[in-house]
Amino acid sequence: MITEIRKIGETEFTTQEMAGKYYSAGDILEILEKERIFIEHSHGGVTFSGGEPLMQTDFLLEALAACKSKGYHTAVDTSGYSSESNFRSVMQYTDLFLYDIKHADDTRHFEYTGVSNTLILSNLRMLLGEGKNIFIRIPVIPDKNDDPESLEGMKKMFSELKCENLKQISLLPFHKTGKAKYRKLHLPYRMEGTVQPSAVRMKELKEFFDGTGIKVRIGA
Amino acid sequence: MMILSERVKKLRTQSLTAEERITAERALLVTRFYKSDEAREVSAPVRRALAFQYILKNKKICINDGELIVGERGPAPKATPTYPEISLHSLHDLEILNSRPKVSFKVDDEVRAIYRDEIIPFWKGRSNRDRIMGLMTPEWINAYNAGIFTEFQEQRAPGHTVLGYKMFRTGFTQLKEEIKESLSKLDFFNDREAFEKSEELKAMDIACDAIIMYAGRHAEELERMASSEKDGKRRAELEEMARICRKVPGEAPETVHEMLQHYWFIHLGVITELNPWDSFNPGRLDQHLYPVYKKEKEEGTLTDEKLYDLLGCFWVKFNNHPSPPKIGVTASESSTYTDFCLINLGGVKPDGTDAVNEMSYILLDVIKEMRILQPSSMVQISKKSPDRFIHKALDIIRTGFGQPSCFNTDAIIQELLRQGKSIVDARNGGASGCVETGAFGTESYWLTGYFNLVKILELTLNNGFDRRTGVQTGLKTGFASDFKSFDDLTGAFAKQVRYFADIKIRGNNVISKTFENYLPVPFLSLLLEDCILNGKDYNCGGTRYNTTYIQGVGLGSITDILTSIRYNVYDKRRITWDELNRALDSDFVGYDDLRYDLIYNTPKYGNDDDYADQQAVAVFEIFYDAINGRPASRGGVHRINMLPTTSHVYFGSVTGATADGRKAFTPLSEGISPSQGVDSHGPTSVIKSASKIDHLRTGGTLLNQKFSPQFFEDEDSYKCLTALIRSYFSLDGHHIQFNVVNAETLRDAQKHPELHRDLIVRVAGYSDYFNDLGEDLQNEIILRTEHENI
Repeated sequence: MITEIRKIGETEFTTQEMAGKYYSAGDILEILEKERIFIEHSHGGVTFSGGEPLMQTDFLLEALAACKSKGYHTAVDTSGYSSESNFRSVMQYTDLFLYDIKHADDTRHFEYTGVSNTLILSNLRMLLGEGKNIFIRIPVIPDKNDDPESLEGMKKMFSELKCENLKQISLLPFHKTGKAKYRKLHLPYRMEGTVQPSAVRMKELKEFFDGTGIKVRIGA
Repeated sequence: MMILSERVKKLRTQSLTAEERITAERALLVTRFYKSDEAREVSAPVRRALAFQYILKNKKICINDGELIVGERGPAPKATPTYPEISLHSLHDLEILNSRPKVSFKVDDEVRAIYRDEIIPFWKGRSNRDRIMGLMTPEWINAYNAGIFTEFQEQRAPGHTVLGYKMFRTGFTQLKEEIKESLSKLDFFNDREAFEKSEELKAMDIACDAIIMYAGRHAEELERMASSEKDGKRRAELEEMARICRKVPGEAPETVHEMLQHYWFIHLGVITELNPWDSFNPGRLDQHLYPVYKKEKEEGTLTDEKLYDLLGCFWVKFNNHPSPPKIGVTASESSTYTDFCLINLGGVKPDGTDAVNEMSYILLDVIKEMRILQPSSMVQISKKSPDRFIHKALDIIRTGFGQPSCFNTDAIIQELLRQGKSIVDARNGGASGCVETGAFGTESYWLTGYFNLVKILELTLNNGFDRRTGVQTGLKTGFASDFKSFDDLTGAFAKQVRYFADIKIRGNNVISKTFENYLPVPFLSLLLEDCILNGKDYNCGGTRYNTTYIQGVGLGSITDILTSIRYNVYDKRRITWDELNRALDSDFVGYDDLRYDLIYNTPKYGNDDDYADQQAVAVFEIFYDAINGRPASRGGVHRINMLPTTSHVYFGSVTGATADGRKAFTPLSEGISPSQGVDSHGPTSVIKSASKIDHLRTGGTLLNQKFSPQFFEDEDSYKCLTALIRSYFSLDGHHIQFNVVNAETLRDAQKHPELHRDLIVRVAGYSDYFNDLGEDLQNEIILRTEHENI
């Protein structure tokens, strides 16, 4: 449940609302049909994001299959933290994986996310090996993964992984858009002290990762 | 890439800083002519032609320092004339114009004295406005006072006409030959109108002589100036300009310079003869200029520097000419004063192939660098237009200047074909004013008034009684609580719409005749095919195509109101009519909870929700059925379009609280855009909702979407916006405009207007300086949803 505060004139209204909705695969096709004209004109498709979509692999599988049956381009935006068998089952209906890499160093990965990166990296290798198209996405978080050592670690790893179907590295600058969500959920926001990386800094990082020979973009 | 020359920079600054003021020059000349014996003994068209000639013969010739294109309507830039034969300003009106804070027109003592001593005594009770008001029925007057509709022709002559390709290739001596031929073919044995036609043709011939004479007066002045000019370079320019003014508009233009000057004399002729509504403009300027430009380029007689200088000088001319100031209710309905010269770029050629050419890109450069309100500009985007053309337009749109707007050529062509235009005439068409579809050079398409759909619904809920004016204005179709079902309500609404459409159309058919009989326009008639051929005036159905429009206003608002009633009263039974009426009567004071539900928990138009959008379609069909195809007295039929200019503010100010949660007397939604701030599902949903009505059966619709500047930051965003535009157009959307600005900037501009004098926003189909808008309109623009993501 989330809390919404809205104003009508001088009066404030506070309401409790359910965040999120239940959809069937059929519902998703209906929504896509509504947006079809835009998807076609922009050569777009559908992206399953989250949270972590592989937390609901059965549904994801059904929805992806439904989308492919209608000819939509499909993408899955994932943290990579799910079982290999889950990835193997969804990959047949997935045209593109947007694959988060937060840290190359396992210890620090564990420290910030609470899990090891071993599974994430082995899934990534498996998908690349199977010829799946991958966009690597790095959330650039000051003092967490943008120190020289972390950066070098990731660069080295990507250079090793480099192959024809590793299409792009996206550098996603940290931002605080999520702060309002924390408030609505009554959760403490712990990133107050972190500052969004400057455009100059992001450009620097782009040039750094250009060294891998893989196409690098700032932002999605 | 264009760089403004010192010359153009200087002229541009002069134009931006020139003081708007009223000149009595034209009023005085037209009055003196009307008092003369000459005026008394002749037919109406000849009288008007002689008046036109008299003005052009006696008005001051103004040539500004450094300019390359000459001619001013008044004695100086932004000195704006009045048209007492159309509507007469009282001394009080002049005082209001002089002293009001927004867009004032200075009125000096001399003008006041001339008005007091000469103009008012002669025209009092004799202007066409007086004539019109005397001819209207009590039902018309009641509806007009209630704010059901406005009347375009009460203060301006009929308009909406754009110059076509013929006049860019023809001179007036050629037209005189055509007149001679038409006269020789008159059949005095069988044609009962032969005499009227001969008078009209005589009048046209006088108008040809008048405009050639007027150009000649400029040539004389230029020659005089050249003879005393010390600077050799300027002397050569003045001599060249004199040569051109001896040639055009009598002869057909053969260079870019000649063509621009040729057009400008025509433009001045049209806006001096009378003050026709808005829109007169060169239309498809890239198409007209391209052949002469190409020829000169090949011959090596035109440098880029010279080209941009000429175009810059030409642009300034439009900005020097504010629209004539209004009086009374029309002044509050539209408080901004730009004339709507909408340059069309792109589109398709007469053979249907892509028309985007080198000149289209050059003119986009000019628009970007000049960055002035007038002329306004638009891009016609067809299926065949290259993405590069759209990207170039977005490059200008992103600067937050509200131009150019984006139009769907394929829709425009289908709209025109449906109305019976030939395929070639349709392809030569475009949009003028705000968004109005027309066949350029061949059609007179009159806008006659905005039509307040929301107010009619308000009366429908109140047995036709208008509580604001205290007058039984509509039919007695019952009170809200009498309607047992939602269908009963929409049935009653349809009857009221038909009733008021009848009143409006009857009025139109009478008003049209006043212009036909008292105020023909022989000069304007020369410019439009087939007036010469038919021997008939523009105001008398002489053009190849004649269309009369009534403009529906408040589609977003009325959809939300009907949807709310259907949802809350009939379907969900959340409230009774009694409760809702009490809340509306008290303007929601003490009903915050209900108002919250009406705003946040009720389906709204603009979110691709069929539950709401089907009311939009129903209202559209009711409005369409009441008006489309009904005969107009000058020939042709009535049609609808959906645009508000700024009337949604005026119409809101006469309409009480509404069931969508809108407070009393606040603005209605504009065009076919959703109500302010209710579209919460992004621009794609807005587009889906907006395309559920059948644009192809209108003569134009207006959809405004506001984006903050970041949407234009990289190439990907251009691709997204291009896809958005093409998607809307593939759904037959007629027009979309992107307003690029953020709310913070606008709020700051309200607080510190002095720091934001250059801030231009798209109001509703046209652009204006934010500072020049009334506070309510400013607030409304701030309220409009800023889409966070695309």
